[in-house]
Amino acid sequence: MTTIIAQDIVTASDPTPVPRLVKMRGFGIGEGSTVTISLVTAITLLILWWVVAQTGLVAHLFLPTPAEVVSAAAAIFQDGYANASLWEHVSASLMRIFSALVIATVLGIPIGLAMGLNRWAKGIFDTPIEFYWPLPPLAYLPLMIIWLGIGETSKITLLALAMFAPIVLSAQAGVRSLPRERVNMALSLGATRLQLFREIVLPSALPEILTGIRISLGVGWGTLVAAELIAATRGIGYMIMSASHFLATDVVFVGIAVIATCAFTFSLAMRLIERWLVPWKGKS
Amino acid sequence: MLRVDHASVYFAARDKRTIHALDKVSLTIPEGSFVVALGTSGCGKSTLLNAMAGFLPLSEGSITLDGRAIDGPGADRGVVFQKDTLLPWKSVLDNVALGLKFAGVSRAARQERARDLLRLVGLEDFADAAPYELSGGMRQRVGIARALAPDPAILLMDEPFGALDSMTREQMQELLVSVWQRSGKRIFFITHSIEEALFLGTQVIVMSPRPGRIVARFDLDFVKTFVRDRDERAIKTSPLFAALREEIRAIVHQSEDLRRAAE
Repeated sequence: MTTIIAQDIVTASDPTPVPRLVKMRGFGIGEGSTVTISLVTAITLLILWWVVAQTGLVAHLFLPTPAEVVSAAAAIFQDGYANASLWEHVSASLMRIFSALVIATVLGIPIGLAMGLNRWAKGIFDTPIEFYWPLPPLAYLPLMIIWLGIGETSKITLLALAMFAPIVLSAQAGVRSLPRERVNMALSLGATRLQLFREIVLPSALPEILTGIRISLGVGWGTLVAAELIAATRGIGYMIMSASHFLATDVVFVGIAVIATCAFTFSLAMRLIERWLVPWKGKS
Repeated sequence: MLRVDHASVYFAARDKRTIHALDKVSLTIPEGSFVVALGTSGCGKSTLLNAMAGFLPLSEGSITLDGRAIDGPGADRGVVFQKDTLLPWKSVLDNVALGLKFAGVSRAARQERARDLLRLVGLEDFADAAPYELSGGMRQRVGIARALAPDPAILLMDEPFGALDSMTREQMQELLVSVWQRSGKRIFFITHSIEEALFLGTQVIVMSPRPGRIVARFDLDFVKTFVRDRDERAIKTSPLFAALREEIRAIVHQSEDLRRAAE
């Protein structure tokens, strides 16, 4: 039996109706851009700050006006602060963060990978890392100074310790999330242990490792002020601490803004590196 | 010849009980044959394949390939997995060439061979695509080409078409038959579709669960008829095909019923 259902005949004179576009009812924030909302929020906060500071709702000593912060920034940019130019402060901090990052990645990635691959490595490194990782860096800062002195070594060690754990943990998680089938696939194609590691394990763990580096950079900036708390003469953290002693809140604000800008730039750079190194992330 | 001789596998379950996954299974896969293992889930067919591939050691018995005992995974046995396992950071061409890279073949030589294999599975235009740009059927075709690249003695396929829609599945069956015919490889193929087993296999073994064992064997030639006539419909609608389908269905259900009665 064959049935042909006649199609509705559409004549050319019909005005083309605009179809009502529909899509699945969403949940959560959906697809709409949040940029405008965020911008409006930022402007509102700035205005609120200006109003609170201008009207003297908060004592001027504690809260400078936006204009004062801008002029303080200009002054520091031109004349420097505490016998050093702004660039010298920034570069001192960047130098410490970078050195710590290099140490943390060079040690953290192999140790994390080893912990994901080997029972002995996992057993040995788990104890010290799980012990120190939840500690606030400020808690062991005095020990760093007693053991390593007040120079750069103690500052970079403190930062490296804080940045090391997220990288180790993410590299380990990267190995452990490797699907068993992917390993079997490589072995059935004749991969040696070394080839398995280089061609399968390492690229599989790479997205997680990069996420770990991003987290560790965040931790690094967070620890920077603590690291520059004692016996530093340069650095953004030092600038903030020193200004706070003189209740120079406008300088504190400038320091915070500089750290925020640096951290944001790093985060952006990491995102670009991710897009370049692991373009497949999230697609499978 | 791949020979499985009284292979038994016992697993430890999570609650410390012992699971008898495979019970004294014996099987030979001669040159040029297409052996299909058929059974419900849990009948030990994947366990058997994993043992053949060398992913799983046997509790008892032995498996030999052309006289050599199997003691681990190796490039002499190509495996096509149920879930495609293409590497997302490599192009389709480099995925196919992976086994050749492991074997130390030069870049130019392995790319040329990979291109030939992509042509064999009809994907020569997708050499530079990323795996995530392909459909499910295409990805499994890349998986087949990849498994063939190191020129293995046998192809082990673990329900490779299980996740595909029925129309793609029929196309893939026909493609696999032509790959089998043109490459001359032995194939061990797992499925839970009776029609697929009948259509593809020169030998079909029916397995039943708990413990996993072979309950029936059939020697068939539908696939040879298909190679000759290329008429899938005629084969699948023939009375003999229908009769065998019902016979196998009865065996599968009978072993199910027996098992349920025993519980």
